[in-house]
Amino acid sequence: MKNQTLKRIAKMLKPQTKAIVIISILAIIINIGEVVKPYLIKLVIDNYLNNNIWQSGIMTVGIIGGIYIAIVLIGNILNFVITTATSMMGENVVYTMRNKLYKYIQYANIPFHDRTPSGTLFVRITSDVEDIITFFKDVITTIVKDIIMIIALAGMMIALDYRLAILCFLIIPLVLITSIIITKVSKKVREYSKHVKTKLNIFLAESIYGVKLIKIFNRQYEKEKECNKLCHEFWKSRIPTAFTEGMLVAMMYIFENLGVSLIVWVTANHIFGINLEVGVIYMFITYIKQIFSPINRIVENFETIQEATVSINKIYDILERKEYLEDFEKGIELEEIKGKIEFRNVWFAYEGENWILKNVSFTIEPGQSIALVGRTGSGKTTIINLINRFYEIQKGEILLDGVNIKDINLRYLRKNIGIILQDPFIFAKTIKDNIQLNEHLSDEELEDVIKLSSAEDFINSLPNGTAEIARERGSSFSAGQKQLLAFARIFAHNPSIFILDEATANIDTKTEESIQKSIDKISKEKTSIFIAHRLSTIVGVDKIIVLNNGEIIEQGSHNELVNKSEGYYSKLYNAYYSSLTV
Amino acid sequence: MKKVLIDSLKKYKWQIPIQIILMGLNIYILTIPAAIIGNIIDLFYDIEANKQIIVNNTYYLLVICIVYLLNRLIWKYLETYISRGVERDIKSKLFQRFLKLKLQNIQSIKNGEIMSYFVKDTNEIRSTVYRIISHGARTFFTFIIAIYRMASGVNIYLTFAVMIPIIIASILLVKIKKYVEISFKKAQDKFTEMSEYIQESTDSVRTTKAYSCEGSQLKDFIRKNKLVRQSNNTVDVYSNLLSTCIQICFGMCYAISLLFGAKLVLDGKITVGELVTFNGYIGLFVNPVNWIPQIISRFKRAQIAYERLDKVFKLDVEKSNTKNNLKKEKLEGNIEITDLSFHYPGVLDKALENINIDVRKGKTLGIIGTIGSGKTTLMNLITRLYSIPNGKIKIDGRDINDIPIEVLRNNICYITQDNFLFSTTLKDNICLFKEEYEEDDIKESTKKAIVYEDIQHMPEGLKTVIGERGGDLSGGQRQRVAISRAFLKNSTILIFDDTFSALDNRTSEKLIENIRELSEEKTCIIISNKVSDVKHSNEIIVLDNGKIIERGIHEELINQKGIYHDFYEQQSTKEETGILA
Repeated sequence: MKNQTLKRIAKMLKPQTKAIVIISILAIIINIGEVVKPYLIKLVIDNYLNNNIWQSGIMTVGIIGGIYIAIVLIGNILNFVITTATSMMGENVVYTMRNKLYKYIQYANIPFHDRTPSGTLFVRITSDVEDIITFFKDVITTIVKDIIMIIALAGMMIALDYRLAILCFLIIPLVLITSIIITKVSKKVREYSKHVKTKLNIFLAESIYGVKLIKIFNRQYEKEKECNKLCHEFWKSRIPTAFTEGMLVAMMYIFENLGVSLIVWVTANHIFGINLEVGVIYMFITYIKQIFSPINRIVENFETIQEATVSINKIYDILERKEYLEDFEKGIELEEIKGKIEFRNVWFAYEGENWILKNVSFTIEPGQSIALVGRTGSGKTTIINLINRFYEIQKGEILLDGVNIKDINLRYLRKNIGIILQDPFIFAKTIKDNIQLNEHLSDEELEDVIKLSSAEDFINSLPNGTAEIARERGSSFSAGQKQLLAFARIFAHNPSIFILDEATANIDTKTEESIQKSIDKISKEKTSIFIAHRLSTIVGVDKIIVLNNGEIIEQGSHNELVNKSEGYYSKLYNAYYSSLTV
Repeated sequence: MKKVLIDSLKKYKWQIPIQIILMGLNIYILTIPAAIIGNIIDLFYDIEANKQIIVNNTYYLLVICIVYLLNRLIWKYLETYISRGVERDIKSKLFQRFLKLKLQNIQSIKNGEIMSYFVKDTNEIRSTVYRIISHGARTFFTFIIAIYRMASGVNIYLTFAVMIPIIIASILLVKIKKYVEISFKKAQDKFTEMSEYIQESTDSVRTTKAYSCEGSQLKDFIRKNKLVRQSNNTVDVYSNLLSTCIQICFGMCYAISLLFGAKLVLDGKITVGELVTFNGYIGLFVNPVNWIPQIISRFKRAQIAYERLDKVFKLDVEKSNTKNNLKKEKLEGNIEITDLSFHYPGVLDKALENINIDVRKGKTLGIIGTIGSGKTTLMNLITRLYSIPNGKIKIDGRDINDIPIEVLRNNICYITQDNFLFSTTLKDNICLFKEEYEEDDIKESTKKAIVYEDIQHMPEGLKTVIGERGGDLSGGQRQRVAISRAFLKNSTILIFDDTFSALDNRTSEKLIENIRELSEEKTCIIISNKVSDVKHSNEIIVLDNGKIIERGIHEELINQKGIYHDFYEQQSTKEETGILA
C-alpha cells in the first residue's frame, strides 16, 4: 500500500479513533474469555475428574461451570456490542462519505462533469462507497479481533509448553501458503466465470431487445444454438469453483488435524522430554483447532482490503481535487439587474489553445433580443455557457450591467439567467416540484405561472394535474411538452435574462403555438438570447449575430443583413427561399 | 415449467442420489476425528502402555482427513454440476420458449422484466436446488448421525440435555430470521431509492446549476441517505442480535456438557475422553442450525420464481411448421388487404381501421404518416407478428393465416425502423448468423446499401465488431447496415419501415434508386415520414390515426392540397432548418 493510501485511510478513520480503541479493548476481553474457556475444562479434567472429586477447597465443578456460563454470556454480549458498534461506525463513515461525494458532485463545475461520465460518479457514490462498509464490517471488526485472538492463543500455547508451541507454529507457514495459493486461483476462476456470465447476459439482453428482428428473419434456431453454447460455457466455467471452494475448507481441516496429530505424537513419544497432563493436551488440541480459522480469515480478507483501498483511493481522488469546486460565497450581488450584456474581446477554449471563441465582442442592450446563428460547432452554445459561467473564459471579459461577471456572486448570477435547453431535464418529481424547483410557490402563484407559460392545456390533460409525478427523465413527455414545463420554470423564477435553445425536434403545431406565445411574452420585457432554428424567431429579433468557427462574421438586424449582397446571412436566407419555390 | 424442471432433474437422476449419499458419508467422516481424539485422551492416562495405539490413532486421523478431502471434492463437484446444470437447462429452455412466444406477449412485458426471468429467477431455482440438496441433506444427516453417535457412543441423557439449547436455537432462528429478512428488504428498497436519486442528480447537473438548486438537492439527498443508514443499522442490530442468541445457545450446550458431563464422569458412567468426543459432536451442529431458516425461506422464494417462470411457459406461442420442404416454398408476392381493422389488446382505440390495400408483384407502395399513425402496426400484421382474423390479409390469394409462419417470413424481408444491431461482427449483423452466404454477395449487398465504403474504412472491415474499438457506427451507418440485409436476402416482398430517417438526402436518394432496381420483380413497401422517400411509388397512402385518409400517386396528392401537401411544404422548410442549425 502506498503512503498516500495509508494517509487517506487514516484520515477516514481519524474521527473514529475513540471507537476503535474501545472496540480493541473489548476484543481483548472477549478473546481472553475464549482462551480461558478451554482452561476451565482443563481444570475440571485435571483437578477434579482425575481425582474423582466434585469439590476441591472452596471451588466446585459447579462454580467452574458457572464461570463458564458467565464467560459465554458476557463474551457474547460484548461481541454483540462490538459488531453492532463497528457496523454502525461503518454506516456513519459511509454516510458522511456519500454526503461529501454528493456535495462535491453538486458543487463541482461543468468542466469536471464534462470529463467525468455520470456513470462513473454513480459507481463512486454507490458501489465504491459500499466497499468501504465491507471494509469496516469484515475487516476492522474481524481483523482486530483475529489478530488479538492469534496472539492470545499463541501466548497461551507458549506458556503451556514453548517447545510444543514452536512445533505447532511450524504448520502456520504451510497454512498461509496454501491459503494464499487457493485464494489466488479461486479469484482467477471466479473472474473467468464472471466474464462468461457477462457475455451470456449481454447475449440475452440483446436477444430480448432484438426479438422482432430474430423473428422476422426466422433466426430462432441460430439464436437457440448460441444460447445453448453460452449457457453451457457458463456452466463449465463454474465447475472449477467447486474444487477451489472444496479445497480450501478441506485443506484447513487437514492442517488442523495435522497439528493435533503432531501434538499427540510428540507427547506420546516424549520428544524433547515433553510430558503433559491430559488436560493440557486437551487445551493444546483445542487451541490448535482455534488458531487456524483466524489466520485463514485474514488471508481471505486481504482481498477485501485491496478492493476497499482501491475504492477509497478512487473516492479521495475526486474529493481531494478542490480546483473543480465552484465558489458560491464569493462575489457581490447587484441591487437591480437591468440586463445589459457585453462581451469584450472574449477568447475561450475548452482545452489549451484550441480556441472555440476568438475575440468575440458584442453588446446586448437591456430588453433587447438577439439571435445567434451559425453551423453546428460555430460557438453558439458556448456563448450561452459562458454567460452563466458554466465555463470560465481565458481572455477578455463579460460584463453584466457593466460589472464583470467574475465579480458577481455565482448563485445570484445564475438565478438571474433563465435558460431553456433543447431537451430540458425533467426530474422524477411532481409537476409542481418540477416547476418550482427550489422556490416555493403558492397554489395561486403556480396557477399563474402555468397560465403565463401556456402549459395549462397540457398539464390539465394529465390525470393528476400538477400533482402528477413525472416518469424518469420525463420520458412520458415529448420534447415540446418538456419545453413548456421549462417555460413555466422560467416564469416561476422570473430571471432578468432569458436564453432559449430552440428545439429542432418535431413539435406538434399546438404545442408549438403555446411555446411561441411564451417566447413572445418573455422576450418583450427581458433581455433575450436565442439559439434559433426557426426563421420566424430569427426575423423577429432586434439583432442577429452570425457566427462561424468561433468568430462573429456579421451582426445587425434582419433587414440590414439580408441586404448585404455577399453576406453569409443573406446567402442562407436566399437559399432558403429558392428551395421553397422548387 | 413443471416439465422443464422435472426433465432437467431427471438428467441428474444418478448424480443427485450419489451426492446425497456422499453428504451422509461426509457427516459420518466428520464425527470420526472427535471420537479418535476422545479415545486418545483416554489412552493418555496410561501413556506408556498405550503408546503404540496412540501413535496408530494419529495415523488413522490423518487418513480420515485425506478421505474427507476426497469426499468433499467429489460432492462439491456434483453439487456444482447439478445445480448449475439445472440453471443451464432452464435458461436454455426458457430462451427457446421465449423465441417462440407471440410478439404481442413479449411486448406486454418490459425488457428488464424478461431479463430478470433469465438472470434472477433461474438463479433462485438454482439456489434452491443447491440449498435443498446440499444444506438439506447435510442438516438432516447431522441431526441423525450426530445424535445417534452422541446417544449410543456417549450418553443418552447428556444428549437430550444438550439438544434443548440446540432446538431453542433452531426455533429462534426460524422465528426471528423472517424479521431480519423483512428489514433487509426494506434497506434494499431504501438503497434503490437513493441510487435512483443519485442517477438523476448526476444526469441533471446542468439544470441544477442553471437554477442554483445545489443546496436543496443536497438537502434531499441527505434525507434519503439518512434513511439508508437508519435502515441498514436496523438490519445490523437484528442480525447481530440473532447471531448472539445462537452463540449463547451453543455456549450453553458446552456448559451443560461440562457440568452434567463432569457429573457423569464422576459417577463412572462415561470417561473423560468420551466427554471430549461429545464436545466435538456439539460443534457439528453449528452450521446446520444456521441453515434451517435458509432452507425454509428458500421454498417460498423458489415458489415465487417458479410461478413467474411458469407464467412465461404458459404464454401463447406462434404455431410453427418445421417440415423442411415447406420452408423452401416461394410466394409470388401479391398482397391484398381487405377491410382490415385492428386494436391492441386492452386498448380501446383502434390502431388500424378499415384498411384496404392491393399491391401487386413489381409494384411499390409508399406509406406516409406521423408517429403513431399505425404504419408499423400494419407491417407487424403482414408479417404475422400479431395475429388477425381470417380473410383480412391475403398473399397470392391465400389467407396469411394459412401460410406457415416460416414460409411467410422467409419470403418477406422486413427492415425495421429501430436500427438495432447485435454486438457482433458486421458480417454477422448482415447475414444474421447464417453461414450460407458468399463473401462476395455480402460485399455486393453493402455496396448496394451504400455502406461499403464506410465498412472499408473500419479497422477490420466486415469483421469489425459493433461497439468495440472502431466499431462505433452512426445512426445512418446502422440503418444502411440493416438495409444491406434486404439486398442479401432474396425475398419476394420487401418492407422498409422508416429506414432512411438518419440518412442525408443525397444518400437516401441513391439508396431508393438501388431499391427500385432491386424490387423490379418484387413487391415493395416503403414507409417514411419524408415525402421524397415515397414520391416515386406506384401508390402512396397517407395514414392518420389508423385510417387511410389520402391515397394516390405523388402528383395527385400534391394537387389535392391535403395532408400530403402539408407534409411536402413543411419538409422543404425543414431542409432549410438544417442549414441554419
